[in-house]
Amino acid sequence: MSRFFHGSDSSSDSSSEEEELYGEEATANKSDDSSSEEDSDAEEDDDESSSDEEGGKSGANRFLREVSDESDESDEEKVTVVKSAKDKRFDELEGTIRLIENAQKISDWNTINEQYDKMNRQLPTLQRALDGKAPKMFIKTIAELETQVTEAFEKQKVTPKKMNPIAQKGLNALRQKIRKNNREYHDDIEAFRKDPAEFMKEDVVEETAPAPKKPKKKLLDNDNTLDGDDDGFTMVGAGGKAMIYTPESILKHLKSIVESRGRKNTDRLEQIRIMERLFDVANSDYQRIRVLLTLIATRFDLTSGTGSQMAQEQWKLAQQEIGSLLSILEASPEIVVIEGAEEWEDDDKQPTITEGEIFKIPGSVVSFVERLDDELTRVLQHIDPHTAEYVERLQDEGSLYTNIVRSMLYAERLKANPKLEASQENVNRVVMRRLEHVYFKPAQVVTILEENTWRVVPSELDSTITPRAQGTEVTQIVQTLASYLFQHSDGIIRARAMLCQIYHLALHDQYYRSRDMMLMSHLQETINSFDVNTQILFNRTLTQVGLCAFRAGLVYECQTALQDICGSQRQKELLAQGLQIQRYSQITPEQERLERQRQLPFHMHINLELLECVYLTCSMLLEIPTLAQAGSSPDLKKRVISKSYRRMLEYHERQIFTGPPENTRDHVMQASKALAAGEWKKSAEFITTIKIWDLLPGAAEIKHMLEQQIQEEGLRTYLFTYAPFYDTLSVSNLAGMFDLSESKVTALVSKMIHHEELAAALDQVNSAIIFRKGVELSRLQSLSLTLADKAQNLIESNERVLEQRTAGTNNAFERQGGRGGRGGRGGGRGGNRGRGAFGGRGGGSGFTGGALGNAIKAQ
Amino acid sequence: MAAIAPAVADAPIREVQLEALVVMRIIKHSTTAFPTPATGCLVGMDVGAQLQITNCFPFPAAVPEAGSAAANNNPADPYHHADQAALALAAPRAKSNASYAAEMLKFLKEVNVDAQGVGWYMSCSMGNFVSQAFVENQAFYQRATDERTVALVFDVGRSSQGSVHVKAYRLSASFMAALKENKFSAESIQKSNLRYQDILLEIPLRIHNSHLLTTLLHTLPTPPPKAPLDFPAALSELHANPALAANPLAPNLDALDLSIDPFLEKSTDLMLESIEAHITEQNNASYYQRSLAREQAKIKTWQEKRKGENALRAQQKLAPLAEDEWQKLFKLPVEPSRLEAMLVGRQVEQYARQVDGFNAVVTGKMFGVRGNLVLERELA
Repeated sequence: MSRFFHGSDSSSDSSSEEEELYGEEATANKSDDSSSEEDSDAEEDDDESSSDEEGGKSGANRFLREVSDESDESDEEKVTVVKSAKDKRFDELEGTIRLIENAQKISDWNTINEQYDKMNRQLPTLQRALDGKAPKMFIKTIAELETQVTEAFEKQKVTPKKMNPIAQKGLNALRQKIRKNNREYHDDIEAFRKDPAEFMKEDVVEETAPAPKKPKKKLLDNDNTLDGDDDGFTMVGAGGKAMIYTPESILKHLKSIVESRGRKNTDRLEQIRIMERLFDVANSDYQRIRVLLTLIATRFDLTSGTGSQMAQEQWKLAQQEIGSLLSILEASPEIVVIEGAEEWEDDDKQPTITEGEIFKIPGSVVSFVERLDDELTRVLQHIDPHTAEYVERLQDEGSLYTNIVRSMLYAERLKANPKLEASQENVNRVVMRRLEHVYFKPAQVVTILEENTWRVVPSELDSTITPRAQGTEVTQIVQTLASYLFQHSDGIIRARAMLCQIYHLALHDQYYRSRDMMLMSHLQETINSFDVNTQILFNRTLTQVGLCAFRAGLVYECQTALQDICGSQRQKELLAQGLQIQRYSQITPEQERLERQRQLPFHMHINLELLECVYLTCSMLLEIPTLAQAGSSPDLKKRVISKSYRRMLEYHERQIFTGPPENTRDHVMQASKALAAGEWKKSAEFITTIKIWDLLPGAAEIKHMLEQQIQEEGLRTYLFTYAPFYDTLSVSNLAGMFDLSESKVTALVSKMIHHEELAAALDQVNSAIIFRKGVELSRLQSLSLTLADKAQNLIESNERVLEQRTAGTNNAFERQGGRGGRGGRGGGRGGNRGRGAFGGRGGGSGFTGGALGNAIKAQ
Repeated sequence: MAAIAPAVADAPIREVQLEALVVMRIIKHSTTAFPTPATGCLVGMDVGAQLQITNCFPFPAAVPEAGSAAANNNPADPYHHADQAALALAAPRAKSNASYAAEMLKFLKEVNVDAQGVGWYMSCSMGNFVSQAFVENQAFYQRATDERTVALVFDVGRSSQGSVHVKAYRLSASFMAALKENKFSAESIQKSNLRYQDILLEIPLRIHNSHLLTTLLHTLPTPPPKAPLDFPAALSELHANPALAANPLAPNLDALDLSIDPFLEKSTDLMLESIEAHITEQNNASYYQRSLAREQAKIKTWQEKRKGENALRAQQKLAPLAEDEWQKLFKLPVEPSRLEAMLVGRQVEQYARQVDGFNAVVTGKMFGVRGNLVLERELA
């Protein structure tokens, strides 16, 4: 009567979590069944009788009694009623049967008919639970029903009094159905008819014996008694027999647990508790390893759904267990856990492990560690990163990292043993995991992580890949891990290792090395064929390289690196740092779920605001001089460096009233305006007051660098904008205006002259710039050039259309098209020549229409 | 009499005769309304193949009827003037103007002036008149049976350079037919062989002065002095000369003004605009082509699938499924109208002709200048 023990000590010190779970289940049951308390009672009886069966008590008597005296013992039991799903179904069945009986008494055939249908619906699940046999009480009910129906029908024939039409209809329908259905259970019904009492007694025995849940139920009871043990109770098994886990029975228990894995309605928490106990009992390494392997797998099974995350408790336990598994494996070199090993079939006998020989157990430590890592990532994805909880969970990463390193050591050991034929892939995978935990972190963090790890790892263990003696120099570690993967892996892992290393180098301000590696990897060409996660890593790496270039003061390089990511307005999606809310999105929920899974946890994020700020600042430094250079010429639109920046600038210019800048974007826009007007000081002030620079290491230098860049670009912008209004301009004057040294100004101006951006000459004697006049194209000339270009485009597009339409008979058209195309291109070249000619003549003649003048002269 | 009347109606208009009064009134109305286009009604009579335009009156710019969609299309911005031009262009076919025109004709009849509407006029700048609105206006007039109406186009931009620029146009019969059906798909255009050159018919125009006016004009210039004149010392002296300055009909230097740049600039600008419009149309068309191809591919796969199903059903001796169900399932994209593209083509042609004509004049002037500037000896 273990149930009563448990019932009485509901306040005992069993683990709180357990109690909570039980409590929940009980209340749920109660709310379900509170309407029919007798039912639960009846079920309870049923349950007990099943557990009592070993004791030889006549459970049948109790069972039969329930119809007559139902409610006498319900009071004491309803507090801790615990039911499995199967029991609940039995409950329902009984409820239905009772309704049928009640209706029989008043000859309400319609109700009986309905309930009969309901009963038949409930039947299949119960039959499944009973190995295909129908429950005895069902047989009993249908047998009784059959007799009743026949009687009623006969009576109906004889008596002249009409039945009420609904009942009549119900009766007829029922009769039909019963006649059809009872054929199936013919044998059972016969048996029941012969001797009802005997049949029902037999029922109890048969019903419970084949139930697959039986051993577990027993164990559960046993478990409960163990809890009770602390309070001075003796440990009593189901049926009053003491249950002890012996080392010999461990494997048997494990087997039953493994078999129930994946089935419905298995209580995994229960299994876990059993296995924890088994682990305590286990006396040999083999047993411990076996128990741990199953236990860890079961823990991971707790959260098999995609939406749920592992509870911290469970995760920690799993992590500890993996740790202990690893230490056992480290301690006993003769046992190895390896994939694809033969399973030890004999549960009764333990394998003999001889010294010097290696015994293989199927399993994979690396997979466990990977799963552990994935679980932590998943948890971190779902926690609000600004809470203490996130930080708390993030602290677990240290122990996770230790586990990864240890399993790496283990995988290495297996690999080193030539007899085992361990696959290279395992080592690669775990090395990749380690690399992925290191690459995005600053040096100090990794150093601490490494130190802590090596402290925990037993001192006699060492790695061949990253020897302990190598120290905790981060760059060194990343380098060795990555180069190990370059040598030993291929495909995606190699690409990922490469990207991780580039990311790391970029993060640690080694721009040129990271850029060279990026270019040499040639990943740009193939990245589209990789999976999405690798593409995200590629994007992250590219972004990091861009940021690195910015810190190094290389504006142009930074802008080009960030262009693809920041110019697209989809930074969040490309970097997997949050879901983009799209108004006209066509993503299916499935896609959205996948995207959600891909999200990076917050601590790996690249600050998007900083990214935008860097990108906009770089765009400003490049775009403003270009805009000034283009002036008002119609091909202004052609030389767009950053579309998104242009759009923002246009939007900003359209505003009627611009207040003081509020966010980063405002700051950059107002700085752009100031820079375009030649007010570099104002511009620099706007830029340097952006708060987000403080997030960068060495903010002061970066601000200084930006200031210098703004001075230089300001000078260029000024020259582009105001050159037409000057004949000469002294260098010292310019130097004073932009607070630059004279040599710097000379250098900049020389460069502009060299690139033919400025039609001027440098007078070094008087240190002045002498502008040439009349070099600029007149409006008509530039318009004509544009018109020529446009016309050429038009011809080309017409040709394309023609080709499309005459795909079959292209021969005739190709000749024409070719000629047209050549003509068009020739025109274009002519235009360019024209420009050169204007430049050369330098406004010699007084004609406004130079081209016409030329034409006349030529005649 | 009854036999002659239809013959008269059938004869196409071969010539338009414009009274000087009408020209002056159009110039006045158009220049005051510039840059918004001005529109007005022409009255006169048709004499055989000749259409005489004897008078005109302006339309008030169509005031959007209160409560109509056009009135409150932009309630947030009551000072919105962007579609003023569109409103002005819509005036000739606006409902409110029909009654206005009828009223005006009644008054004109009372004062014994020709009171038969013979068309409408509009002003434009640098020939940018070929638009949907123009076509619709003229179609509105030409739709009436036994109509004899023309559209006069007065170019403010070009007239400001010295010579009056007025043209008379009608829509061609083939274009009218196409417009009536409102079918401008590639197929129908191909069938009717309608080209952009065929949209408008230009009708020769003659300006007619009354005898009285001619007489007055003949009396205006003073007879040239008999004695030889002294050469002017400077240009300013020419301007200051009361004999020349007071007489508007005396030959002046304005005719020699080249002003190539502004004209060509403006033309090029407009040409670029037209090309942009053309590219837009082209994009629309190619987008349509692509979506059509996509839909057709879909339909094809569907049809094949259905065929396969039917083959299977035939084996199972079931009734075949309908094969033309795709018409319900798939919707082919609507082909964009080619009208706009054709108009753009016509407009570009208009610009090109204009530049051509301008260049002819300018080149002539330039040769004239060269003949005086370059010495004979150098030429030889």
